[in-house]
Amino acid sequence: MTVWQDRSLVLGGRGVVLSSYGYLIFFFGTVLMAILVTEAKVALILGSTLVFAALFYRDALRLLQRWQLWAFIVPTLLLSPFVIGQKDVFLWGLSLSREGFWAGVWMAVRGLSIAVAAGVFAGAVSVSQMAQLFERMRLKGLGFALGVATNMLPVVQETIESSYQAIRLRGGFRRHRLETLKLLVVAVIAGSLRRGDDIVCAAEGRAFDPSKSQAPRLHLTPADVTLGGVILLLGVVLLLV
Amino acid sequence: MKFSVRELVYIAIFGAIWGALEITVGSYLHVIFPPLADTFLVGLIMASIGVVVALIGRLFVPRTGSVLMIGIVAAILKMISIGGVKLGPLVAILAESLLMELGLLTARRPRRRSFVFAGALAITWNFFHKFIMMWLLFGRGIYEVYVGMVRQGASLLRIDVSYALVIIVVLLFMRIGAGGLAGWVAWDLGRVVRDRVAR
Repeated sequence: MTVWQDRSLVLGGRGVVLSSYGYLIFFFGTVLMAILVTEAKVALILGSTLVFAALFYRDALRLLQRWQLWAFIVPTLLLSPFVIGQKDVFLWGLSLSREGFWAGVWMAVRGLSIAVAAGVFAGAVSVSQMAQLFERMRLKGLGFALGVATNMLPVVQETIESSYQAIRLRGGFRRHRLETLKLLVVAVIAGSLRRGDDIVCAAEGRAFDPSKSQAPRLHLTPADVTLGGVILLLGVVLLLV
Repeated sequence: MKFSVRELVYIAIFGAIWGALEITVGSYLHVIFPPLADTFLVGLIMASIGVVVALIGRLFVPRTGSVLMIGIVAAILKMISIGGVKLGPLVAILAESLLMELGLLTARRPRRRSFVFAGALAITWNFFHKFIMMWLLFGRGIYEVYVGMVRQGASLLRIDVSYALVIIVVLLFMRIGAGGLAGWVAWDLGRVVRDRVAR
Protein backbone atom coordinates (compact mmCIF):
# COMPACT_ATOMS: atom_id res chain seq x y z
CA MET A 1 0.00 0.00 0.00
CA THR A 2 1.55 3.29 -1.04
CA VAL A 3 1.66 6.30 1.20
CA TRP A 4 -0.22 8.38 -1.33
CA GLN A 5 -3.03 5.95 -1.87
CA ASP A 6 -6.50 7.44 -1.45
CA ARG A 7 -8.20 5.65 1.36
CA SER A 8 -11.69 7.16 1.21
CA LEU A 9 -13.81 4.27 2.32
CA VAL A 10 -16.99 2.90 0.84
CA LEU A 11 -18.83 0.97 3.51
CA GLY A 12 -19.64 -2.46 2.12
CA GLY A 13 -20.49 -1.02 -1.28
CA ARG A 14 -23.53 0.70 0.20
CA GLY A 15 -22.39 4.14 -0.85
CA VAL A 16 -21.50 5.45 2.61
CA VAL A 17 -18.41 7.48 1.75
CA LEU A 18 -16.57 9.36 4.45
CA SER A 19 -13.95 11.88 3.43
CA SER A 20 -10.99 12.97 5.56
CA TYR A 21 -13.32 15.57 7.08
CA GLY A 22 -15.58 12.78 8.31
CA TYR A 23 -12.71 11.07 10.10
CA LEU A 24 -11.58 14.39 11.51
CA ILE A 25 -15.10 15.08 12.82
CA PHE A 26 -15.18 11.57 14.31
CA PHE A 27 -11.80 11.99 16.03
CA PHE A 28 -12.46 15.41 17.54
CA GLY A 29 -16.06 14.48 18.38
CA THR A 30 -14.92 11.39 20.28
CA VAL A 31 -12.17 13.27 22.16
CA LEU A 32 -14.57 16.07 23.11
CA MET A 33 -17.30 13.70 24.26
CA ALA A 34 -14.85 11.52 26.21
CA ILE A 35 -13.66 14.64 28.03
CA LEU A 36 -17.11 16.10 28.75
CA VAL A 37 -19.10 12.97 29.56
CA THR A 38 -18.82 11.58 33.09
CA GLU A 39 -18.55 8.13 34.67
CA ALA A 40 -20.59 5.24 33.19
CA LYS A 41 -21.63 7.25 30.13
CA VAL A 42 -18.05 6.94 28.86
CA ALA A 43 -18.79 3.26 28.22
CA LEU A 44 -21.29 4.38 25.56
CA ILE A 45 -18.58 6.45 23.89
CA LEU A 46 -16.25 3.44 23.85
CA GLY A 47 -19.04 1.25 22.44
CA SER A 48 -19.80 3.76 19.67
CA THR A 49 -16.08 4.16 18.87
CA LEU A 50 -15.59 0.40 18.59
CA VAL A 51 -18.67 0.03 16.36
CA PHE A 52 -17.44 2.88 14.12
CA ALA A 53 -13.96 1.33 13.93
CA ALA A 54 -15.42 -2.10 13.09
CA LEU A 55 -17.54 -0.59 10.31
CA PHE A 56 -15.13 1.90 8.75
CA TYR A 57 -11.57 0.98 9.65
CA ARG A 58 -11.23 -2.45 11.22
CA ASP A 59 -7.40 -2.32 11.27
CA ALA A 60 -7.60 0.24 14.09
CA LEU A 61 -8.90 -2.52 16.39
CA ARG A 62 -5.47 -4.17 16.15
CA LEU A 63 -4.37 -1.42 18.50
CA LEU A 64 -6.09 -3.37 21.29
CA GLN A 65 -3.54 -6.18 20.79
CA ARG A 66 -0.57 -3.89 21.49
CA TRP A 67 1.02 -4.32 24.91
CA GLN A 68 2.13 -0.66 24.96
CA LEU A 69 -1.51 0.42 25.13
CA TRP A 70 -2.25 -1.91 28.05
CA ALA A 71 0.97 -0.81 29.78
CA PHE A 72 -0.76 2.59 30.11
CA ILE A 73 -4.25 1.33 30.90
CA VAL A 74 -3.62 -1.49 33.41
CA PRO A 75 -1.56 0.49 36.00
CA THR A 76 -4.34 3.11 36.18
CA LEU A 77 -6.86 0.35 36.75
CA LEU A 78 -4.73 -1.32 39.42
CA LEU A 79 -3.62 1.79 41.31
CA SER A 80 -6.94 3.66 41.53
CA PRO A 81 -8.56 1.47 44.26
CA PHE A 82 -5.53 2.15 46.46
CA VAL A 83 -5.27 5.92 46.10
CA ILE A 84 -8.73 7.30 45.25
CA GLY A 85 -11.62 7.53 47.74
CA GLN A 86 -12.29 6.02 51.17
CA LYS A 87 -11.12 2.43 51.72
CA ASP A 88 -14.32 0.42 52.21
CA VAL A 89 -13.46 -3.07 50.93
CA PHE A 90 -11.00 -5.59 52.37
CA LEU A 91 -9.79 -8.17 49.88
CA TRP A 92 -6.90 -10.64 50.35
CA GLY A 93 -5.56 -8.52 53.19
CA LEU A 94 -5.64 -5.32 51.13
CA SER A 95 -7.83 -2.33 51.92
CA LEU A 96 -9.34 -0.97 48.74
CA SER A 97 -11.81 1.69 47.69
CA ARG A 98 -14.90 0.85 45.67
CA GLU A 99 -15.07 4.47 44.45
CA GLY A 100 -11.42 4.27 43.36
CA PHE A 101 -12.05 1.02 41.48
CA TRP A 102 -14.87 2.53 39.41
CA ALA A 103 -12.93 5.76 38.86
CA GLY A 104 -10.10 3.61 37.45
CA VAL A 105 -12.50 1.70 35.19
CA TRP A 106 -13.98 4.91 33.73
CA MET A 107 -10.52 6.40 33.24
CA ALA A 108 -9.41 3.25 31.39
CA VAL A 109 -12.55 3.28 29.21
CA ARG A 110 -12.00 6.95 28.36
CA GLY A 111 -8.33 6.28 27.47
CA LEU A 112 -9.32 3.35 25.24
CA SER A 113 -11.96 5.43 23.43
CA ILE A 114 -9.48 8.19 22.58
CA ALA A 115 -6.75 5.73 21.57
CA VAL A 116 -9.07 3.84 19.18
CA ALA A 117 -10.44 7.12 17.72
CA ALA A 118 -6.86 8.32 17.09
CA GLY A 119 -6.01 4.95 15.51
CA VAL A 120 -9.00 5.19 13.14
CA PHE A 121 -8.13 8.76 12.08
CA ALA A 122 -4.42 8.07 11.58
CA GLY A 123 -5.05 4.83 9.70
CA ALA A 124 -7.97 5.84 7.49
CA VAL A 125 -6.67 9.24 6.37
CA SER A 126 -3.74 9.00 3.97
CA VAL A 127 -0.69 11.24 4.20
CA SER A 128 -1.72 13.19 1.10
CA GLN A 129 -5.18 13.82 2.55
CA MET A 130 -3.63 14.89 5.83
CA ALA A 131 -1.40 17.33 3.95
CA GLN A 132 -4.50 18.68 2.17
CA LEU A 133 -6.22 19.19 5.52
CA PHE A 134 -3.23 21.23 6.68
CA GLU A 135 -3.15 23.14 3.39
CA ARG A 136 -6.73 24.22 4.06
CA MET A 137 -5.35 25.82 7.23
CA ARG A 138 -3.36 28.29 5.09
CA LEU A 139 -0.22 26.13 5.03
CA LYS A 140 0.16 26.22 1.24
CA GLY A 141 2.73 23.91 -0.29
CA LEU A 142 2.76 21.48 2.61
CA GLY A 143 1.72 18.64 0.29
CA PHE A 144 4.71 19.32 -1.93
CA ALA A 145 7.05 19.60 1.08
CA LEU A 146 5.71 16.33 2.45
CA GLY A 147 6.24 14.57 -0.90
CA VAL A 148 9.83 15.82 -1.05
CA ALA A 149 10.42 14.85 2.59
CA THR A 150 9.07 11.31 2.03
CA ASN A 151 11.48 10.89 -0.88
CA MET A 152 14.33 12.53 1.00
CA LEU A 153 13.94 10.40 4.12
CA PRO A 154 16.02 7.41 2.87
CA VAL A 155 18.59 9.86 1.44
CA VAL A 156 18.88 11.67 4.77
CA GLN A 157 19.17 8.38 6.65
CA GLU A 158 21.91 7.28 4.23
CA THR A 159 23.71 10.63 4.63
CA ILE A 160 23.62 10.28 8.43
CA GLU A 161 24.95 6.73 8.23
CA SER A 162 27.73 7.45 5.71
CA SER A 163 28.83 10.67 7.46
CA TYR A 164 28.93 8.88 10.81
CA GLN A 165 30.97 5.99 9.40
CA ALA A 166 33.37 8.36 7.59
CA ILE A 167 34.01 10.37 10.78
CA ARG A 168 34.36 7.21 12.89
CA LEU A 169 36.85 5.62 10.47
CA ARG A 170 38.99 8.76 10.64
CA GLY A 171 39.21 8.37 14.38
CA GLY A 172 36.42 10.74 15.32
CA PHE A 173 34.55 10.27 18.63
CA ARG A 174 37.75 9.02 20.32
CA ARG A 175 38.46 12.48 21.65
CA HIS A 176 36.93 15.94 21.21
CA ARG A 177 33.56 14.23 21.02
CA LEU A 178 31.50 17.40 21.04
CA GLU A 179 33.56 18.90 18.21
CA THR A 180 33.13 15.66 16.23
CA LEU A 181 29.38 15.67 16.85
CA LYS A 182 29.24 19.24 15.57
CA LEU A 183 31.13 18.16 12.44
CA LEU A 184 28.67 15.31 11.93
CA VAL A 185 25.62 17.59 12.21
CA VAL A 186 27.14 20.13 9.81
CA ALA A 187 28.09 17.39 7.32
CA VAL A 188 24.61 15.83 7.41
CA ILE A 189 22.71 19.11 6.98
CA ALA A 190 25.06 20.55 4.36
CA GLY A 191 25.02 17.26 2.40
CA SER A 192 21.20 17.06 2.49
CA LEU A 193 20.83 20.70 1.42
CA ARG A 194 23.14 20.14 -1.57
CA ARG A 195 20.96 17.24 -2.67
CA GLY A 196 17.93 19.44 -2.14
CA ASP A 197 19.31 21.95 -4.65
CA ASP A 198 18.87 19.33 -7.39
CA ILE A 199 15.17 19.02 -6.47
CA VAL A 200 14.78 22.81 -6.53
CA CYS A 201 16.36 22.99 -10.01
CA ALA A 202 14.14 20.16 -11.28
CA ALA A 203 10.94 21.73 -9.87
CA GLU A 204 11.78 25.24 -11.08
CA GLY A 205 12.77 23.86 -14.49
CA ARG A 206 9.23 22.48 -14.80
CA ALA A 207 7.73 25.83 -13.70
CA PHE A 208 6.21 24.12 -10.68
CA ASP A 209 3.88 26.33 -8.62
CA PRO A 210 3.61 25.09 -5.03
CA SER A 211 0.57 27.23 -4.28
CA LYS A 212 -1.53 25.15 -6.68
CA SER A 213 -2.32 21.81 -5.06
CA GLN A 214 -1.68 18.81 -7.32
CA ALA A 215 -3.99 16.46 -5.46
CA PRO A 216 -7.79 16.28 -5.98
CA ARG A 217 -9.64 18.72 -3.72
CA LEU A 218 -11.26 17.46 -0.54
CA HIS A 219 -15.01 17.80 -0.29
CA LEU A 220 -17.43 17.33 2.56
CA THR A 221 -19.66 14.36 1.66
CA PRO A 222 -23.30 13.78 2.78
CA ALA A 223 -21.98 10.96 5.00
CA ASP A 224 -19.65 13.44 6.77
CA VAL A 225 -22.56 15.76 7.48
CA THR A 226 -24.71 12.87 8.74
CA LEU A 227 -21.87 11.65 10.97
CA GLY A 228 -21.38 15.16 12.35
CA GLY A 229 -25.11 15.37 13.11
CA VAL A 230 -25.15 11.97 14.82
CA ILE A 231 -22.12 12.86 16.96
CA LEU A 232 -23.65 16.21 17.91
CA LEU A 233 -26.95 14.57 18.83
CA LEU A 234 -25.25 11.83 20.84
CA GLY A 235 -23.13 14.42 22.63
CA VAL A 236 -26.14 16.57 23.56
CA VAL A 237 -28.14 13.54 24.75
CA LEU A 238 -25.26 12.22 26.86
CA LEU A 239 -24.63 15.61 28.42
CA LEU A 240 -28.27 16.33 29.24
CA VAL A 241 -29.42 12.90 30.44
CA MET B 1 1.85 31.83 4.21
CA LYS B 2 3.33 31.41 0.75
CA PHE B 3 6.75 29.85 0.35
CA SER B 4 8.92 29.60 -2.75
CA VAL B 5 9.92 26.20 -4.16
CA ARG B 6 13.40 26.51 -2.61
CA GLU B 7 11.96 27.35 0.79
CA LEU B 8 9.56 24.40 0.62
CA VAL B 9 12.37 22.03 -0.31
CA TYR B 10 14.44 23.30 2.63
CA ILE B 11 11.43 22.85 4.91
CA ALA B 12 11.10 19.29 3.58
CA ILE B 13 14.81 18.58 4.19
CA PHE B 14 14.78 19.85 7.78
CA GLY B 15 11.50 18.01 8.40
CA ALA B 16 13.05 14.84 6.97
CA ILE B 17 16.17 15.24 9.17
CA TRP B 18 14.04 15.72 12.29
CA GLY B 19 11.79 12.82 11.23
CA ALA B 20 14.77 10.56 10.48
CA LEU B 21 16.29 11.30 13.89
CA GLU B 22 12.94 10.68 15.60
CA ILE B 23 12.58 7.35 13.80
CA THR B 24 16.15 6.11 14.35
CA VAL B 25 17.58 7.75 17.49
CA GLY B 26 14.12 8.09 19.12
CA SER B 27 13.23 4.42 18.62
CA TYR B 28 16.68 3.36 19.84
CA LEU B 29 16.39 5.46 23.01
CA HIS B 30 12.87 4.13 23.67
CA VAL B 31 14.30 0.61 23.53
CA ILE B 32 17.27 1.19 25.84
CA PHE B 33 15.43 3.28 28.46
CA PRO B 34 12.47 1.96 30.48
CA PRO B 35 8.95 3.23 29.59
CA LEU B 36 8.80 5.43 32.71
CA ALA B 37 11.81 7.43 31.44
CA ASP B 38 9.95 8.20 28.21
CA THR B 39 8.94 11.79 28.81
CA PHE B 40 11.44 12.79 31.44
CA LEU B 41 14.59 11.60 29.65
CA VAL B 42 14.02 10.32 26.13
CA GLY B 43 11.50 13.10 25.46
CA LEU B 44 13.94 15.72 26.68
CA ILE B 45 16.77 14.41 24.48
CA MET B 46 14.55 14.12 21.40
CA ALA B 47 12.96 17.53 21.99
CA SER B 48 16.42 19.14 22.24
CA ILE B 49 17.51 17.49 18.98
CA GLY B 50 14.27 18.60 17.31
CA VAL B 51 14.73 22.19 18.50
CA VAL B 52 18.28 22.31 17.12
CA VAL B 53 17.22 20.97 13.71
CA ALA B 54 14.09 23.12 13.38
CA LEU B 55 15.84 26.33 14.45
CA ILE B 56 18.72 25.72 12.02
CA GLY B 57 15.95 25.34 9.43
CA ARG B 58 14.65 28.78 10.43
CA LEU B 59 18.01 30.32 9.49
CA PHE B 60 17.56 28.92 5.98
CA VAL B 61 13.86 29.79 5.70
CA PRO B 62 13.58 32.99 7.77
CA ARG B 63 9.81 33.34 7.45
CA THR B 64 6.93 32.97 9.87
CA GLY B 65 5.45 29.48 9.77
CA SER B 66 8.57 27.67 8.54
CA VAL B 67 9.31 26.01 11.90
CA LEU B 68 5.68 24.92 12.24
CA MET B 69 5.82 23.39 8.75
CA ILE B 70 9.09 21.59 9.60
CA GLY B 71 7.38 20.20 12.71
CA ILE B 72 4.30 19.04 10.78
CA VAL B 73 6.50 17.29 8.19
CA ALA B 74 8.52 15.57 10.95
CA ALA B 75 5.34 14.54 12.81
CA ILE B 76 3.78 12.99 9.70
CA LEU B 77 7.01 11.16 8.84
CA LYS B 78 7.11 9.82 12.40
CA MET B 79 3.49 8.73 11.99
CA ILE B 80 4.17 6.66 8.85
CA SER B 81 7.30 5.04 10.29
CA ILE B 82 7.48 1.31 11.07
CA GLY B 83 6.67 1.77 14.76
CA GLY B 84 3.13 2.86 13.87
CA VAL B 85 1.05 5.75 15.17
CA LYS B 86 1.90 6.94 18.67
CA LEU B 87 -0.14 9.86 19.84
CA GLY B 88 2.41 11.10 22.41
CA PRO B 89 5.40 11.91 20.16
CA LEU B 90 3.05 13.28 17.51
CA VAL B 91 1.46 15.78 19.88
CA ALA B 92 4.88 16.64 21.34
CA ILE B 93 6.45 17.43 17.95
CA LEU B 94 3.50 19.58 16.87
CA ALA B 95 3.31 21.43 20.20
CA GLU B 96 7.06 22.06 20.28
CA SER B 97 7.14 23.44 16.76
CA LEU B 98 4.13 25.66 17.50
CA LEU B 99 5.78 26.99 20.65
CA MET B 100 9.06 27.60 18.79
CA GLU B 101 7.10 29.54 16.20
CA LEU B 102 5.49 31.65 18.94
CA GLY B 103 8.87 32.24 20.56
CA LEU B 104 10.36 33.38 17.26
CA LEU B 105 7.60 35.96 16.84
CA THR B 106 9.38 38.04 19.50
CA ALA B 107 11.96 39.14 16.92
CA ARG B 108 11.39 40.26 13.35
CA ARG B 109 14.63 38.76 12.08
CA PRO B 110 16.38 35.62 13.40
CA ARG B 111 18.47 36.57 16.44
CA ARG B 112 20.35 34.52 18.97
CA ARG B 113 18.14 35.67 21.83
CA SER B 114 14.95 34.77 19.98
CA PHE B 115 16.43 31.32 19.25
CA VAL B 116 17.29 30.83 22.93
CA PHE B 117 13.80 31.97 23.97
CA ALA B 118 12.06 29.81 21.34
CA GLY B 119 14.12 26.76 22.37
CA ALA B 120 13.35 27.26 26.06
CA LEU B 121 9.65 27.75 25.34
CA ALA B 122 9.48 24.64 23.15
CA ILE B 123 11.17 22.31 25.61
CA THR B 124 9.06 23.62 28.48
CA TRP B 125 6.26 21.71 26.75
CA ASN B 126 8.16 18.51 27.52
CA PHE B 127 7.53 19.11 31.23
CA PHE B 128 3.77 19.54 30.84
CA HIS B 129 3.42 16.92 28.10
CA LYS B 130 2.88 13.91 30.33
CA PHE B 131 0.40 15.72 32.56
CA ILE B 132 -1.61 17.09 29.62
CA MET B 133 -1.63 13.77 27.76
CA MET B 134 -2.64 11.90 30.90
CA TRP B 135 -5.43 14.40 31.60
CA LEU B 136 -6.59 14.08 27.99
CA LEU B 137 -6.59 10.29 28.09
CA PHE B 138 -7.73 9.56 31.63
CA GLY B 139 -9.33 12.76 32.93
CA ARG B 140 -8.85 14.69 36.15
CA GLY B 141 -8.90 11.50 38.23
CA ILE B 142 -5.39 10.63 37.10
CA TYR B 143 -4.02 13.53 39.18
CA GLU B 144 -5.56 11.99 42.28
CA VAL B 145 -3.70 8.78 41.41
CA TYR B 146 -0.40 10.69 41.02
CA VAL B 147 -0.85 12.74 44.20
CA GLY B 148 -1.77 9.57 46.10
CA MET B 149 1.31 7.78 44.76
CA VAL B 150 3.59 10.70 45.72
CA ARG B 151 2.08 10.81 49.25
CA GLN B 152 2.42 7.07 49.76
CA GLY B 153 5.93 7.04 48.27
CA ALA B 154 6.99 9.92 50.54
CA SER B 155 5.59 8.21 53.64
CA LEU B 156 7.27 4.93 52.62
CA LEU B 157 10.66 6.65 52.24
CA ARG B 158 9.90 8.81 55.33
CA ILE B 159 10.59 12.09 53.54
CA ASP B 160 8.53 15.26 53.43
CA VAL B 161 6.01 15.60 50.57
CA SER B 162 7.32 19.12 49.88
CA TYR B 163 10.50 17.53 48.48
CA ALA B 164 8.37 16.30 45.57
CA LEU B 165 7.50 19.92 44.79
CA VAL B 166 11.19 20.85 44.84
CA ILE B 167 11.96 17.98 42.43
CA ILE B 168 9.17 19.15 40.09
CA VAL B 169 10.52 22.74 40.06
CA VAL B 170 14.07 21.47 39.41
CA LEU B 171 12.80 19.33 36.51
CA LEU B 172 11.03 22.35 35.01
CA PHE B 173 14.16 24.54 35.23
CA MET B 174 16.25 21.74 33.74
CA ARG B 175 13.99 21.81 30.70
CA ILE B 176 14.11 25.58 30.35
CA GLY B 177 17.92 25.39 30.55
CA ALA B 178 18.14 22.56 28.01
CA GLY B 179 15.86 24.46 25.62
CA GLY B 180 17.86 27.66 25.90
CA LEU B 181 21.06 25.71 25.28
CA ALA B 182 19.52 23.98 22.25
CA GLY B 183 18.57 27.42 20.84
CA TRP B 184 22.09 28.74 21.46
CA VAL B 185 23.66 25.69 19.77
CA ALA B 186 21.23 25.94 16.83
CA TRP B 187 22.27 29.55 16.21
CA ASP B 188 25.99 28.65 16.13
CA LEU B 189 25.59 25.45 14.13
CA GLY B 190 23.25 27.08 11.66
CA ARG B 191 25.80 29.76 10.83
CA VAL B 192 28.51 27.13 10.37
CA VAL B 193 26.23 25.15 8.01
CA ARG B 194 25.38 28.34 6.10
CA ASP B 195 29.08 29.11 5.62
CA ARG B 196 29.75 25.52 4.51
CA VAL B 197 26.88 25.52 1.98
CA ALA B 198 27.92 28.94 0.63
CA ARG B 199 31.45 27.71 -0.10
